[in-house]
Amino acid sequence: MQQLVKKVKEIIKNKEVDVVIGWGRGSLPFSATPIFVETEKDVEKLIFDETCRNNLTTYLTKDKRRISKEYKKIGIIVKGCDSRSVVLYTVENQIKRENVVLIGVPCNGVFEKKKLSQLVEGKEILDFQIDVDNIIIKGRNFEQTHPLKDALCDPCLTCQYPDAPEYDYFIGTPRKDVNVPDAYKMINDFGEKSAEERWAYIQEEYSKCIRCYACRNICPSCYCPECFVDQNDPQWIGKTPEVTDSIIFHLIRNLHVAGRCVDCGACVSACPVDLDLRIMSKKVEKEIKERFDYTAGTDINEKPAMASYCENEKQDFIMG
Amino acid sequence: MSLKSRSVMVVGAGIAGIQASLDLAEMGLDVHLVEESATIGGRMPQLDKTFPTNDCSMCILAPKMSECARHPNITIHIKSSVAEVTGNPGDFTAKIVEHAKYVDPVKCVACGLCEEKCPVKVDDEFDMGLRKRGAISRSFLQSIPSEYTIDEERCLYLTKGVCRICEKVCPAGAINYEDKDIEIELNVGSVILASGIDTFNPIGFGHFGYKRYPNVVTSLDFERMLSASGPFGGHVVRASDNIEPKSIAFIQCVGSRDESIDHNYCSSACCMFAIKEAIIAKEHMKGLDSSIFYMDIRAFGKDFDKYYEKAKGQYGVQFIKSKVSEIRELENGSLSLRHVLENGKIEFTEFDMVVLSVGLQPRENITKLAKKLDIKLNEFGFCRSDTFEPLKTSREGIYVCGAMNGPRDIPESVTTASGAVAEAVKYLRLDRQEIIEKKIPEKDIVGDRPRVGTFVCHCGINIAGVVDVKDVAEYAKDLPNVEHSEDLMYACSQDCMNTIKQRIEEHDLNRIVIAACTPRTHEPLFRDMVSEAGLNPYLFEMANIRDQCSWAHMNEPELATEKSKDLMNMGVAKARELAPLERLPIEINPKALVIGAGLAGMTAAEALADAGHEVFLIEKEAELGGNLRNIYFAFDKDPQELLAEKIKNVTKNKLIQLYKSTQIEKIDGYVGNFITTLKTEKDEQTLEHGIVIIATGAEEHKTKEYLYGKSSRIITQVEFEEMLHTQQFPKQKMKNIVMIQCVGSREEDKMYCSRVCCTKAVKNALTFKKRFPNINIYVAYRDIRTYGFREKYYTELRDLGTMFVHYDLDKKPEVTLVEEWNPDSQLNVTVFDPIIDKEIEVKADLLVLATAIDAKKENIDLGRMLKVSLNTDGMFLEAHVKLRPVDFATDGVFVAGLAHTPKDMDESMTQAKAAASRALTFLNKKAILAEGTICEVNDNRCTGCGYCEQICAYNAIEVDLEKEIAIVNEALCKGCGACVASCRCGALDLRGFSNEQLFSAFDALDMVDILGD
Amino acid sequence: MKEWQPKILAILCNWCSYAGADLAGVSRMQYPPNVRVIRIPCSGRVDPLFIMKSLQTGFDGILVSG
Repeated sequence: MQQLVKKVKEIIKNKEVDVVIGWGRGSLPFSATPIFVETEKDVEKLIFDETCRNNLTTYLTKDKRRISKEYKKIGIIVKGCDSRSVVLYTVENQIKRENVVLIGVPCNGVFEKKKLSQLVEGKEILDFQIDVDNIIIKGRNFEQTHPLKDALCDPCLTCQYPDAPEYDYFIGTPRKDVNVPDAYKMINDFGEKSAEERWAYIQEEYSKCIRCYACRNICPSCYCPECFVDQNDPQWIGKTPEVTDSIIFHLIRNLHVAGRCVDCGACVSACPVDLDLRIMSKKVEKEIKERFDYTAGTDINEKPAMASYCENEKQDFIMG
Repeated sequence: MSLKSRSVMVVGAGIAGIQASLDLAEMGLDVHLVEESATIGGRMPQLDKTFPTNDCSMCILAPKMSECARHPNITIHIKSSVAEVTGNPGDFTAKIVEHAKYVDPVKCVACGLCEEKCPVKVDDEFDMGLRKRGAISRSFLQSIPSEYTIDEERCLYLTKGVCRICEKVCPAGAINYEDKDIEIELNVGSVILASGIDTFNPIGFGHFGYKRYPNVVTSLDFERMLSASGPFGGHVVRASDNIEPKSIAFIQCVGSRDESIDHNYCSSACCMFAIKEAIIAKEHMKGLDSSIFYMDIRAFGKDFDKYYEKAKGQYGVQFIKSKVSEIRELENGSLSLRHVLENGKIEFTEFDMVVLSVGLQPRENITKLAKKLDIKLNEFGFCRSDTFEPLKTSREGIYVCGAMNGPRDIPESVTTASGAVAEAVKYLRLDRQEIIEKKIPEKDIVGDRPRVGTFVCHCGINIAGVVDVKDVAEYAKDLPNVEHSEDLMYACSQDCMNTIKQRIEEHDLNRIVIAACTPRTHEPLFRDMVSEAGLNPYLFEMANIRDQCSWAHMNEPELATEKSKDLMNMGVAKARELAPLERLPIEINPKALVIGAGLAGMTAAEALADAGHEVFLIEKEAELGGNLRNIYFAFDKDPQELLAEKIKNVTKNKLIQLYKSTQIEKIDGYVGNFITTLKTEKDEQTLEHGIVIIATGAEEHKTKEYLYGKSSRIITQVEFEEMLHTQQFPKQKMKNIVMIQCVGSREEDKMYCSRVCCTKAVKNALTFKKRFPNINIYVAYRDIRTYGFREKYYTELRDLGTMFVHYDLDKKPEVTLVEEWNPDSQLNVTVFDPIIDKEIEVKADLLVLATAIDAKKENIDLGRMLKVSLNTDGMFLEAHVKLRPVDFATDGVFVAGLAHTPKDMDESMTQAKAAASRALTFLNKKAILAEGTICEVNDNRCTGCGYCEQICAYNAIEVDLEKEIAIVNEALCKGCGACVASCRCGALDLRGFSNEQLFSAFDALDMVDILGD
Repeated sequence: MKEWQPKILAILCNWCSYAGADLAGVSRMQYPPNVRVIRIPCSGRVDPLFIMKSLQTGFDGILVSG
């Protein structure tokens, strides 16, 4: 942490950047809030721990940049997934890489608030403490210890890129050789089920969708000025929470982020009705990985999977 | 000043004739395309697939055929022959006879009832006699023109005066037994001959039993058997018992490379043809054993060797280097092949079926035609042309292309066709073409409510016989925005089109839907009609209720009527959303840029300058000539004379500006409007031009194999040729020369044939042998690929007693210096000789390596600048390997010479002329019209992510990094809409096939309960 | 009650498959009339949403050919 503060102070002092976007402590114990650090004094407000859930790189997209237009050069603190978003933005002409200074940090995973809340059966949490692989949660009249992994976001549990693949400065020790369980186990297990079972599950799950678009709004890869669901010419899909329309919405959204989703899990955290969103997004990720040997946001020089064609691609979906 | 005309005659309407006609017509010239048969298309329609891409032959040809038929500058004379050509170049008078067709082409609707009822049944020539046709018929389903004609020698009425059935059944009253031959006189400036080729007829040839043994077929018979639209529907069965064969043998060189029948030439295409058939047959029949019996596999064309390797590896086609001497039929109809293996052993192998790879030979009537045209034939009976003038006949002003002057495959025929055009324009008047202004002012309909008029065509009984057209017309009346609906007998007839125009006027219609046949053939016609009625031609939509409804559901009239209503509904729904589209003019700068001043570059520059265009000819080196500078022999000609002449021509021509020692720094722009920055040691300079021809050549492979570089006695063929020229032979007495072929060619990372090395080796060996008859020459080769007429030199060399030793890749020759450190020590070459089945060792006094031709590294940068692709070998990749061999997917850029693929001098020149001719189709226009159906960007929705830019195959869309949005280049967009589908933001749309229009059509389907259930 | 028939939508490229469908007609190849064809300039034009939309509309099968 001290190293981070020191580095940020340094780059602000050197006028290497006009601002550093990072996390500060939120008003609740388990929350972090985005902060814009412009002066050396403010640097002390920076934190980085398991509460730093949000992918701050969305501030870099054109739409959000309007807020921060006065900044010519922006420093930003990035976890693995955040860094991958920056790669995506660079490849997709959303930012110029040279206008951004990336301060990479090794990530141990971030909390999923919904899971924490479940762990303590909805009781108010006042403080927490990490003890190696466990988390000690404190509240009024209680203190509980749980395995840390039970409190982390799902994507963190299988994250293969805890260290920012793209950075200018890396603070701390990279977690390089993390051993991750099979990221696609849930997809493979689901694939084992019969078509009827899968269809029933998808239908039931997605009938819960209230079409609030929180998933889209929080998604770092969703930066279209006007999302297809909001367009009227043509009206691509029905706008009410009718189940087929909702399924189409999610399917198309997943196609739109195919080869672009960095699996930060922001959508999952944001969903008010707890949809199993990753059952689709991970499936798409797996297909992209297997078909095109491509993982979004890991190589700034690689062409996006969905925008390139190579002759020896698998074409098993074509008949004859 | 020679005479010049605006008309030109093309004889023969195969792919070469079609290509020549299209090029000429695009230059604004009046073309008379004279064809003996009843359709254009030639041989290609008979083919099922084409090598090496396995493209469907008809699918790639059909668009060219219909373009040819629709072109306003082309007049097609079918069933016509040339009687004589008199006069002088620039002012020829050609007499042609148009033979009686006995069917009025204006009235015939090609419904086919006549042939169905015709009592005469004769062997169908198109299907190689595997099917019967009537005396009234057409060649094939997609023939152009599509109308039927009567075969007067077979027709019962015309021969015996009885029958007249076709007249009775014809619903259009098109039969005319009184039709007569007519003689037409054409005044033309030049003539292009493209009358094609025949296949060798193997009846009675050798001991192969063609036509005696039912399961022995020719490669062309087999092609029809494989074709899905052929007589067997693509299901190959043996004629003897209708059983699918389990094994097929292909026998190569039937009627080729055979002095006994005066065919001492290679037919060039049959090896690839057989490989293709073997592959396709394996695809059709799982577990089939396809074996090819060959002498040499001559896969010398671009990407051919990769195809050959694929056949061996992926498909498991067997290749047996063995000559078949006899075929015997077994009791079960199978065939026993007696063949001689390389080592002289005789074997008998049994196959279920045998395909004879028949060679190509001059057309039967070529002698007669030659006499009428006063042109000479060569020793093999093909049209005669000179090594360095491969497109000229012996008569000035008459040019030749296609396979008429030598066996050729499709892309080479197309190349020669365009090349011949560049020659022919010498006697033609090229005036730069203006865009033809519209005569009728267009009604402004913006803001008007859609007022749709619907018309349902009976097409005689073709539609009305199945679909209740009155019901469909009635149904359309109730569709939203439909103001008028009616049914018409033949919507495309002149009087019906007048009716439609009248209705547009009466009802103030602003959208037209016609339910009839297919838009692929009739949309252009109806668009013109809509235009004549004062509406924008894009306010028109078709519902295909014939080809895709009445004809496909003949036994279900009610459901076909329901489907027609649906299709009509969709048509109306889409029509409501149609908007007028404009085709923007793109100005064409008449100047040309040619990159590279080797043989191809100089030839192209010369051709363009001769046609009156200013040319910038750029050469990287200080001297002109490229690789030609190192070539000294060409059998009967002197390449150095050719070089001198070319240099003189480009230097003295005032229209050619030469830039030597100059590099291309940058090329911007698009067809008609390129801007190029040149760089020399001293300065930079920019040029503006309309087109680019890439003629950057290739280079000799630098080998380290076979101890090259270790001794002065180990040299390349290029160095050997120089030695022959300078006569600086090694001082010591020579006894043996060894040549090794395929050094750096046809191997893993370079799986292509360098094409010229076999001929070069033969040529150099002959030159040497004639001087030193007592010195032995050994040639270690993999396949000798002296294709075409080059074969005779190979034979000549063999006859002079040269040893040819065949080696395989796994048993390459070995070269050793007895004293490894001593370059002057004895040089030994060891090679395994399969004929004697053991290794032989030769003490070589000279070792000559046939090193490969490599692509230039600079191709990558140039490709990037021009936005054109390279193949995996680094050679420039043309737009289509069969039918657009010198074009690129990017308009206005062309390729010629070695930059495209290894080739010989005559081929480079031909291709250079072809590139020039293709370039002239643009340069000879003051402006071209961009497509109307192109993409557009909604700036407010675009994020500039660049997916579209990467997806677009035509480089027609680019992100403006300043504005952060994508910009469509309207000149380049082909309207495929791939970018539209890639756009997440919905920022892109395709005019004429917009999201809104397509959605409207989808929604219309929602309204109708399909099948009424 | 008639036997159930699937409703099929074919989205066909103008240059190849649509031409193929025409050829099927010209050759009088008979096939069931429960297919509706939409002509597009290239199969690259097909937005995945077209397919989902058609399925939602009630089609049982979609053939994209190009």
